[in-house]
Amino acid sequence: MRISYNWLKQYININLNSKELEEKLTFSGIEVESIDKIGEELKQVIIGKIVEKTSHPQADKLSICRVDDGNEIKQVICGAPNCAKNQKIAFAPVGSKLGEFKIKKVKLRGEESYGMICSEQELGISDNHDGIMILPDDAPTGKDLASYLNLTDTSFELEITPNRPDLLGMVGVARDLSALLKLPLNLPEMSLKSGKKKIEEALALENEAPELCSRYVARMIEGVTICESPQWLKKRLLAVGLRPINNVVDITNFVMMEFGHPLHAFDYQDLEGKKIIVRRATKKEKIPALDEETYTLEQSDLVIADASKPIAIAGIIGGVNSHITSQTTNIVLEAANFNYANIRRTSRRLKISTDSSYRFERNLSDETAEIVSKRAAQLILEIAGGTLLQGTLDSYPDPQKANIVALRPSRVKKLLTIKEDDTTLINYLEGLELRLHKQEKDKLFFEIPFFRKDLTREIDLIEEIIRLHGYNNVETFHKSQNIMNKLSFYARRKLQDILVSYGFCEVINWSFADPKDLDSLNIPESDERRNVAKIINPLGNDFAIMRSTLLPGIFKNTLLNISHGQKELKLFELNKVFFRKDEKLATEKYNLTVLLTGNLNPTFWKEKPKEIDFYDVKGIVEELLTSLDLEDVDYIASKENYFQPGSGADIIFRKNCIGNFGKLDPKIAQTFSLEQIIFIFELSIDDIFSLQEKRYPTYKSIAKFPPVLRDLSFVISKEFLLKDIKNIIFKTNPKIIKNVVLFDEFISDKIKEGYRSLTFSLVFSSETKTLTDEFINNLLKTIIANLEKSCKIEMR
Amino acid sequence: MKEELNKILESAKSEIDKTGSIHELQQLKSRFIGKKSGLMNFMKQISSLPKEERPAFGQLVNETKQQITNIILKCEAAIKESDYKKTLKSEFIDLTMPGRKHEKGSLHPITLVWREIEDIFISMGFDVAEGPDVEDEFHNFDALNTPPDHPARNLSDTFYIENDVLLRAQTSTVQVRVMEKHKPPIKIISPGRCYRNENDASHSPAFHQVEALVVDEDVTFADLRDILNIFLKKMFGEDISSRFRPHFFPFTEPSAEIDIICVNCLGKGCNICKGSGWLEMGGAGMVDPNVFDMLEIDSEKYTGYAFGLGIDRIAMLKFKIPDMRMLFANDVRFLKQF
Ligand SMILES: [Zn+2]
Repeated sequence: MRISYNWLKQYININLNSKELEEKLTFSGIEVESIDKIGEELKQVIIGKIVEKTSHPQADKLSICRVDDGNEIKQVICGAPNCAKNQKIAFAPVGSKLGEFKIKKVKLRGEESYGMICSEQELGISDNHDGIMILPDDAPTGKDLASYLNLTDTSFELEITPNRPDLLGMVGVARDLSALLKLPLNLPEMSLKSGKKKIEEALALENEAPELCSRYVARMIEGVTICESPQWLKKRLLAVGLRPINNVVDITNFVMMEFGHPLHAFDYQDLEGKKIIVRRATKKEKIPALDEETYTLEQSDLVIADASKPIAIAGIIGGVNSHITSQTTNIVLEAANFNYANIRRTSRRLKISTDSSYRFERNLSDETAEIVSKRAAQLILEIAGGTLLQGTLDSYPDPQKANIVALRPSRVKKLLTIKEDDTTLINYLEGLELRLHKQEKDKLFFEIPFFRKDLTREIDLIEEIIRLHGYNNVETFHKSQNIMNKLSFYARRKLQDILVSYGFCEVINWSFADPKDLDSLNIPESDERRNVAKIINPLGNDFAIMRSTLLPGIFKNTLLNISHGQKELKLFELNKVFFRKDEKLATEKYNLTVLLTGNLNPTFWKEKPKEIDFYDVKGIVEELLTSLDLEDVDYIASKENYFQPGSGADIIFRKNCIGNFGKLDPKIAQTFSLEQIIFIFELSIDDIFSLQEKRYPTYKSIAKFPPVLRDLSFVISKEFLLKDIKNIIFKTNPKIIKNVVLFDEFISDKIKEGYRSLTFSLVFSSETKTLTDEFINNLLKTIIANLEKSCKIEMR
Repeated sequence: MKEELNKILESAKSEIDKTGSIHELQQLKSRFIGKKSGLMNFMKQISSLPKEERPAFGQLVNETKQQITNIILKCEAAIKESDYKKTLKSEFIDLTMPGRKHEKGSLHPITLVWREIEDIFISMGFDVAEGPDVEDEFHNFDALNTPPDHPARNLSDTFYIENDVLLRAQTSTVQVRVMEKHKPPIKIISPGRCYRNENDASHSPAFHQVEALVVDEDVTFADLRDILNIFLKKMFGEDISSRFRPHFFPFTEPSAEIDIICVNCLGKGCNICKGSGWLEMGGAGMVDPNVFDMLEIDSEKYTGYAFGLGIDRIAMLKFKIPDMRMLFANDVRFLKQF
C-alpha cells in the first residue's frame, strides 16, 4: 500500500524526515519497500503567461503563442483549442522531462517551438486531456508549478502483512505511529446534516445472503453535481498512486485510502425497482464491469443487484450499468463488509484484483462500514453538494461484539524478559486503542477495538507490546565465548580423516618413552628432541621420559603387527610431543607421524602388487599440505640422520621446517628390529598453524576461453631439478602459461650418462582472448630458447 | 546433365555400401556432398545457364544431394547397430569377480568416542578447551581445593617431573586455566590425557578423560543433571539415565558420583555391571565457592557445575571392548574393527 507523508500529517503531527519515518515503520513491523519523492518533475515546469497568440500560417489547428516565462518571451506552438491570450499556463521549457518524455526544441510546419504548454494529463495531475491546464490569473509568472500547487510530497510503498488489514488505510498507519511515538491521533470531525426526505421513501435494501454479506450500509444523496475534484483531493489521490476520475468516485477512493475500507457509489437513476438486493449470482449470470469486460458469474459469487440485474460484483468491481457519470444527480452510497474467503475465491476465479478486493480479502471489520459511509457522505455533501436523505438502510444481522482478552504481566516478563511495570504495559496497549476493561491480580483484561480482529489471544497482545517496546530494545544476556582453538581443532580432524580415507589406521600410544630410543634414531645431542621432561617416579626405565618424537612408538606398533603376520601396514599417530629445557612446565606440540611399509594396494586380480616408494609418500604429503591450504612448499635434502642418505626430504614452508619424510635407513630400522622397508613422514601441526592463518577461498572467475595444450620433450642434465626447469618455463610468460605438468621421465643407455629425458604437458590460456596457433608457436620457441640458454637442453 | 548426376549417385551408392566404419563414412560424406565435392562443383555450372533453366537445374542437384544424404544416414545407422552388437559380445563381465578396492583405514576407537563427545557438547553450545599435560601443583591440586596433605599428592599416586611439576591427574586443570583467563559465562569441555601412577588390568597409567565446566548466573544442580542425562542419552541411547550418589571431591560441593544404567543389560544385571544394573561413570558437583574465590570470580553472583567422565571407559562400553589394555596395544586386527 502507498501512503503519503503530507496526508499522514493530517492525522498525526509527526516531525520526522523520510529516513526516520522509514526506520520507525520498519521496526514496528511495517516494511517500507520504496520511498518516492513526488513533484520533483513539476519543479521544472514554470508558470507562464501567453502574451500573444496568432494562428499558424501552415496549420489550422495549431497556434503560435508567445509565452512569458518570467525571464523572457518564448515562441511555443500549441495545438490545444482552449489556449488564449493572457492565460496563465503550465510551461515545460526545453530540457525539462515529463516522465519518459524529454522536451526539445522542435520545428512544427516550419515554425520553431521552444517548449510545451501542458495539459493536466501530460503533467500527470489528472486524466484530463481536453486541453491545456489553465491556471488562475493570479498565479505568479515564473514560479515553478510544484511549489505553486504545493505538490511536493513523499510517498512510501508499504508491505502490509496479511494479519493487519487495519493498516490498509492512512488512519491505521497513523494510529500505529501514534502508539509508537506517543503522539495524539487526530481523526477527522464527522457530522452530517440531512434533509427531510427519508431514505426509505426512495430506496429499499434486501440482504438475501447474510452469510456472505455481514453488513450493508446504504446512504442516499440527491442533487449532487459531478465534476472534477478540487485540487487538494486530486493531490492526495495522486500521491498514493490513484488517478482522479470525478468528485464522487474520488471521494470513495479517498475514504478507502483514509480508513482502509472500500466503498462504492451507484447512480440511483440506473436502479430498477429502486432496490438494492444483496444476493448470490444466478448460474451463468453476466455483468458488464467497469473494466469494460463482461464477467460470467456462478452461484457462489455474491452480487449487488437491483430488481432486474446485477450492478456490482460485491466487493470486487462495480457494473458499468450503474456507475457515476457526469449526468448523475442522485447517488446511492454503499459501505459494506463481505465474507473474505468468498471474495478471494471469486476474485481469483475471475482474475480480477482491485484495491477493493485486495482489502475485503483481508477480513475487514463490520463496524468500519458505518464510519466510512458517514465520512464519504460528509465529503460528498461538502464537495459535490446535494442533500442527504434522512437515515440509512443498514443490514447488520449479527453485530460484531467487542472481544475481551486477558494479559498476565508475569507472562510478558517471562516471554520477553522486559522489566516494564503494569502501567507501561497498559499505556502501550491503550496507544493502540485497546481499552483496559478490568484489572485483577496479574491479570489485565483488555477490550479489543473492532478494527483489530487479529488480536484474539494473550500472545497477540504480547506481540503488540514487544513491537511498541522495540525488538532491539530487549536486553540480551548471553555473551559468546571464544575459548576454542577451532583452526587447529578442525585441521587435526581433517588430517585424521584424510589419512583414514587413504587406508591408514590410527594408533594411540602412551606418552612415556625410553630415552635410549633417541640414540637409536641418531638424534644429535644438540637437537630440540633431546630436551626431554624426565619423570622422577617412572613405571620403569623404558618409560622414563615424556616422548619428544612419536617415531619409536609407531615402530614398536609396526614390529608387533609384523610379528602377527601383518606385513602391509599404514599407520599414523596424531598426538602431543613434549620438550622441556628452561621452561617450568613443558612445550607441548601436536605432531603427526605416518608410517608405510609393504605393498601399496591390497591384491587385485587385474594388477600386480606394487611396493611403496618415495613418490607414493610424497603424494600423500602433498595432498595433506594442500588440504591445509599450504602453498609454495619447498622440499630440500633432510637434515635428519635416520633417513637413508638421499632418500629423505625436509618440508620447508616460509623458511621453516614443518616436517620431513622419506625412507627409513635400513640400519636404523634394524635397531628397532624392523627388517622391512619402512617409509615415514612427520608434520609438526602446531608449527604449521603458527605460520598459517585460516583462509577461506574466494571465488575466481572461470576462464572464458578454452585452454590450449602442447607437449614439450627434451633431454637435460640431471643437475637441473624439476623445480628450476618449471620456473624457467613459467617465467617466460606467467600470465599465459597456466600449468606445467610433468608426465614422463625417461632414463636409459640410449641417453648419455648423467642425463634424463623429460616430457611436459603445457597448459596455455588467456583471460581476454582465444590463443592463436601462431602465438602459441612463438611462445614455445621462446620457452625452448630460454631452456637452451639456461640448461643446455637438447630437443627430442 | 541428368546422366552425370546419376553417375555421381551410382558411384556414391556403391562406395558407401562397401564401407564398414563411421570414420570412412565421414570421409565419403565430404567426398560426395561436401563443399569441395564433385556434386558441388557441378552446382557451380548454374551461373553459366540461362536464367529460366536455373531453378530446374538447382532442384535436380539438390535432389541428388538429398538422395546421397539418405544413403549415408541409412548406412550410419547400420554401422552403429553392428558396432553396438560387437560391444555387447566383447565386454564380458563376471559379476562375481571382486572390484578394485581402496583399503579401509580406521580411527582409533578412543578417537571415535572422543569426537562424538566433542560433537554432542559443541552442539549444546560448549567450547572445547585444551591445556598442558605437564602441569604444576597449583593447577592440579591447590586451585582445585585439594588440601596440602591429600594422599593424591603422593609419588605413589601422581607422576612428578620436578618438585611442583607433575603430569596432570585430571583435566580439571583446564577448568582452572580457563577461569583464570576468561570471565563467566563459561561453558566448556576439556577432553584430554591424564596420568596416574598405577598399571594393572583395569587401570592404565595414561588414560583419557573429559571434564565439563559451566559457570554463569543461575546455573543450578538441575542444569547439571539435565546436561548429563542429555549427554548420556545422546551417547548411549534414550533408555539410559543416571543417578547421583553423594561423594567427596575437594573442588565441588555438593559432590556426587555418577552411575548410569548398565548399557549392556539396561539395569537387569549382568557381568559387566557385576549384577547391580548400574555402572560407575565419573564424578560431578557444583563448583565449590572456594574455587571461585581463589580465581577471583564472584561466588555470590555466579554458580557453576563440573563433571568428569572417562573417555576410555565410554569407548569400552560403547564398543563392548573387554580389556582396557587392548586400547593401547595398537594391533591392526583390533583397530580395523572400528
Ligand atoms: Zn549390566
